[in-house]
Amino acid sequence: MMPVTWPAFADLHPFAPNEQTAGYQEMFKNLGEMLCTITGFDSFSLQPNAGAAGEYAGLMVIRAYHLSRGDHHRDVCIIPVSAHGTNPASAAMCGMKIVAVGTDAKGNINIEELRKAAEANKENLAALMVTYPSTHGVYEEGIDEICKIIHDNGGQVYMDGANMNAQVGLTSPGFIGADVCHLNLHKTFCIPHGGGGPGMGPIGVKKHLAPFLPSHPVVPTGGIPAPYKSQPLGTISAAPWGSALILPISYTYIAMMGSKGLTEASKIAILNANYMAKRLEKHYPVLFRGVNGTVAHEFIVDLRGFKQTAGIEPEDVAKRLMDYGFHGPTMSWPVPGTLMIEPTESESKAELDRFCDALISIREEIAQIEKGNADVHNNVLKGAPHPPSLLMADAWTKPYSREYAAFPAPWLRNAKFWPTTGRVDNVYGDRNLICTLLPVSQMAEEPAAATA
Amino acid sequence: MSIFDEGLTEAQMIEHMKNLASKNKVLKSYIGMGYYNTLVPPVILRNIMENPGWYTQYTPYQAEISQGRLESLLNFQTMITDLTGLPMSNASLLDEGTAAAEAMAMCNNIEKGKKKTFVIASNCHPQTIDICKTRADGFGLKVVVSDINEIDYKSGDVCGVLVQYPGTEGEILDYGEFIKNAHANGVKVVMASDLLALIMLKTPGELGADIVVGSAQRFGVPMGYGGPHAAFLATSQEYKRMMPGRIIGVSIDATGKTALRMAMQTREQHIRRDKATSNICTAQALLANMAAMYAVYHGPEGLKTIAQRVHGLAGTFAAGLKKLGTVEVQGLPFFDTVKVKCAESKVIADAAYKNGINLRILDKNNITVSFDETTTLEDVDNLFEVFASGKPVTFTAASLASDVQNVIPPGLARESSYLTHSIFNSCHTEHELLRYISRLQSKDLSLCHSMIPLGSCTMKLNATT
Repeated sequence: MMPVTWPAFADLHPFAPNEQTAGYQEMFKNLGEMLCTITGFDSFSLQPNAGAAGEYAGLMVIRAYHLSRGDHHRDVCIIPVSAHGTNPASAAMCGMKIVAVGTDAKGNINIEELRKAAEANKENLAALMVTYPSTHGVYEEGIDEICKIIHDNGGQVYMDGANMNAQVGLTSPGFIGADVCHLNLHKTFCIPHGGGGPGMGPIGVKKHLAPFLPSHPVVPTGGIPAPYKSQPLGTISAAPWGSALILPISYTYIAMMGSKGLTEASKIAILNANYMAKRLEKHYPVLFRGVNGTVAHEFIVDLRGFKQTAGIEPEDVAKRLMDYGFHGPTMSWPVPGTLMIEPTESESKAELDRFCDALISIREEIAQIEKGNADVHNNVLKGAPHPPSLLMADAWTKPYSREYAAFPAPWLRNAKFWPTTGRVDNVYGDRNLICTLLPVSQMAEEPAAATA
Repeated sequence: MSIFDEGLTEAQMIEHMKNLASKNKVLKSYIGMGYYNTLVPPVILRNIMENPGWYTQYTPYQAEISQGRLESLLNFQTMITDLTGLPMSNASLLDEGTAAAEAMAMCNNIEKGKKKTFVIASNCHPQTIDICKTRADGFGLKVVVSDINEIDYKSGDVCGVLVQYPGTEGEILDYGEFIKNAHANGVKVVMASDLLALIMLKTPGELGADIVVGSAQRFGVPMGYGGPHAAFLATSQEYKRMMPGRIIGVSIDATGKTALRMAMQTREQHIRRDKATSNICTAQALLANMAAMYAVYHGPEGLKTIAQRVHGLAGTFAAGLKKLGTVEVQGLPFFDTVKVKCAESKVIADAAYKNGINLRILDKNNITVSFDETTTLEDVDNLFEVFASGKPVTFTAASLASDVQNVIPPGLARESSYLTHSIFNSCHTEHELLRYISRLQSKDLSLCHSMIPLGSCTMKLNATT
């Protein structure tokens, strides 16, 4: 992080002549080569400044490639139904027609359906967008075959790099058979998320696609390392190297980890996910596992049954987690009614245990509803989160104790993060849309305890 | 990766980065084109930009533990709506160029894809034009780049037109009639604009623009060799449901108290997929927060002082060049960017480089010089030396400054108020701002508190060093 605020990196104009930015250029070159090594690609563009921008740029590269071969008609993009929402949204922006394929019971792409879709669109197939390990958190066994089917039918394989944290040092998109992939440097390569950005979404490509990487009208750019020729698809971002200022974060992360450290990190990320899955499986069904019963770097906890038995939805669990001092996992994606947990390599066993303890404790709270000891509509999950304004009010009408609402786990006695508001009503806000500050007179009274 | 096989230690890494830093030469930039030097208030630098309590949280999907940054992003939206004069703003986009492309997509959607031409005035930044062209290609739109005076809508096939205010070469044009004409032809008007200029200029909303885009970079976010910065997009109530990106809205919580959260998520890619208004996901929250805090810190009066000072420096520079007589100053009114005609641009640029200065070379005979809040009168004196081409300079910028007039045409001077809300009028000391930043931070759960085990989001340790 430190170099990010050094004036020698922070105070440069993006269109300053290259000879004044030799330090940046050297870093881009090193970073491009490192990313090529990690991904098994031949060239990188550092221009896309978010993951979705990378997806769009990658598909535009594929489009430019087809156009260069006279294949103007290739505009069909196959996308599994389990894909991130950005995938179809990006494909639509490239004018592609989307053909959806389903998944099988194990969460893998239905290969026969994919084969049929590819063959039916053989003449017009442009690309497949695929995430590996799959969005269900499984190392898809058939990935080689999937790539081959697409290539045999004239298409290119776009890999979504969202799950790259389960690949680094162990396998790579290039090795698996992808032609292009974006990397979320703000996920796998350590750029902080910033509360909703910034990010960086550079794309890596195989040699045949390298000439089409984006350029820039003021400062011409292209693939790093530079390809043998250049036929850029156009311009993706306002600046030639996207959000250059935050690249030192990923660069230093990779350089300090080294190749051994990166591989070790991927292994620990997978170990952490499997450890948590193992601890939690006695309490919650864990969906989708690979053939040997393990998960990749993330896993899905199934809550669907609790709707029937206790009237509990994933949102209730996520909100109750706040009372335990945690941010809920990804909710209802890629499977409605579930939570998807990704611990990453950087959490200690103690922290993993603390999170598991919270989820196990919540499972017990659900059991109390199932047993009829707690009301289906008025219980500690439905009432969550519990802000101080609610807990400290003179009137307390809930059927459970204030103390249990606020301190359901021992670590909370030592230090507790307090949610500042009760559960927010999304529907009300969309019906009464206000998207600027209210005049002070209209603000509902701010609870004094909110900053406690 | 050979040199990094074993991994460097932190100390080795810092040495390596210092070495790289020493190879970058920071010259005084007058290039402009959407990127301006700015003074990042240290209270914001140290307590937001360098503070893991602000930079390690996730997108505020879990509103109850995100009220701090939601409030700050609502400040950002309020600042954008006040300065642009349009009532709806989103909570940031990736950069000005892609914001313009998103606006183009909105025009296409407003016309339901039936009008397949988008016109871009040639006074837009070149990177904005190229991004729109690339994006249009995917949508099957045709982009026509045209001189502002030669645009015609006769084909009946035009969904929107993009103009820049002030223009890329600094000129301030009155778009009032232009917009009326576009609307009479059923064409939506997108305006790329500059927040600091809008402190002094009649707003795009008052001029009748349908969508305004731009960058909040010069509100206290370093240029950073291109980013990250927060771009913005504002529009009217009519088109709010077609906006791209995250929008923060006011709602209530279970007890009826005011609470904030992301609004209208049904427009977005994670729900609408290929029918979404955009593919945008991660935006520029941290940088939007920095820009919003910059406005909170300076307030309407402080911003006005900054804008007037920048305008005054540009005016002083223009007055000095006229006095020198070695070059010709362009005639149109400007805010911060002065266009200069000279015998040989390259000769001037070389002289500038020797003085540690970067200028924008437009062509063989034309140069622009863009001023910003970091420029001083001494800097203007240095520019005089460069443009004098050896002729003795017999005056100083300081001696000219007091006589310099505001050159913004009276009909385009801003009269409407802005940033009237109390939050923009109460934290003008470092102490007050520190406490406000800290108060908001205390409402947000970040990696400082606990793991954030979001599937597919890889919330790993973010360096705190």
